[in-house]
Amino acid sequence: MSDRIDAYAAALLEIAKAEGSLETVEDELFKVARTLEANDQLLVTITDQAIPIERRQGIVEDLFGGKASKITTSLVSFLVGIGRGRDLPAIIDKLVAEAAEERHQTVAEVRTAVPLDEGQRDRLAAALSNATGKHVSLKVIVDPTVLGGVVARVGDTVIDGSVRHRLEQLRQQF
Amino acid sequence: MHVMALVMQAAEEGSQQAKNPILPATNEIIWGTLAFLVLLIGMWKFAFPAVTKAMNERTERIRSNLDSAENLKGEAQQILDEYQRQLADAKSEANRIIEEARQTAEALRRDLMQRAEAEVAELRQRSAEDVAAAQERALNDLRARISTLVISAAEKVVERNLDRETNTALVESFINSVGATSV
Repeated sequence: MSDRIDAYAAALLEIAKAEGSLETVEDELFKVARTLEANDQLLVTITDQAIPIERRQGIVEDLFGGKASKITTSLVSFLVGIGRGRDLPAIIDKLVAEAAEERHQTVAEVRTAVPLDEGQRDRLAAALSNATGKHVSLKVIVDPTVLGGVVARVGDTVIDGSVRHRLEQLRQQF
Repeated sequence: MHVMALVMQAAEEGSQQAKNPILPATNEIIWGTLAFLVLLIGMWKFAFPAVTKAMNERTERIRSNLDSAENLKGEAQQILDEYQRQLADAKSEANRIIEEARQTAEALRRDLMQRAEAEVAELRQRSAEDVAAAQERALNDLRARISTLVISAAEKVVERNLDRETNTALVESFINSVGATSV
């Protein structure tokens, strides 16, 4: 299982590199993975054997086609087409980790309530690199449930500076 | 004097007549004496020893009977003594058993009392603890509900009032604090 995920991740990585748009594809795929994780219904739909493959691929292309690049949409559609929809998040995470490793970086998953601008991203990446002692590759997810602030996860380390976390702390204190 | 003269005269007259009314005839005397002697010798020889033996045996038997009666009496006395001693023993044993039973009952009573008192104390303590635990639980429950309410209210307020500017400031503050530390 894990071997197959590794193989798919490596293959997708090679395709993205060959297409010369690794960074974009990587970012977009990462967002697709998080979208699927946050949306069970979507994951169930694209893995539902009762729905014809063309139909499921159509759903994926409709959903991501307008927002992601063609190559990203094609890759996701391809995985759904060969029935690997359920492993999509795992394959994508592996791909992202591999790509970061090739750049001697570690993936830093960052969740914020509002999108970050370029300057904020750069400074956040630098701050996290400094804090963890690793070169980080920043993957930003806009997640309204954090309410405000930032949640960063680098490997097993989680740095939680979100308003949600502070409210939780407050709840614990009661 | 007159009488004597009469007896003498009569005797003289008897001897003269050879017909004495008191004395038997001479041959009768001889035969009688012989027969008597023969009987005496026979008696002496055979009857006396048998009678003597029988008498002796009887005497002996009586003595032995007396002895055995004496012995029996002594034995009876011994048995009586033994019985009396056993009775006394039994009485003292009975007293001892009664005393022991009394002491056991007393110990049992005391033990039961102590146990009952301990149980009552334990029950009392347990119910006090139960009450305290229930209070604590209720308090915690209340606290949890209040905190949930307060936090939910706070979340709603924050959600509504957290504008982009504040959010940016929060992100900046995160960047600054993370950049200054090392994990």
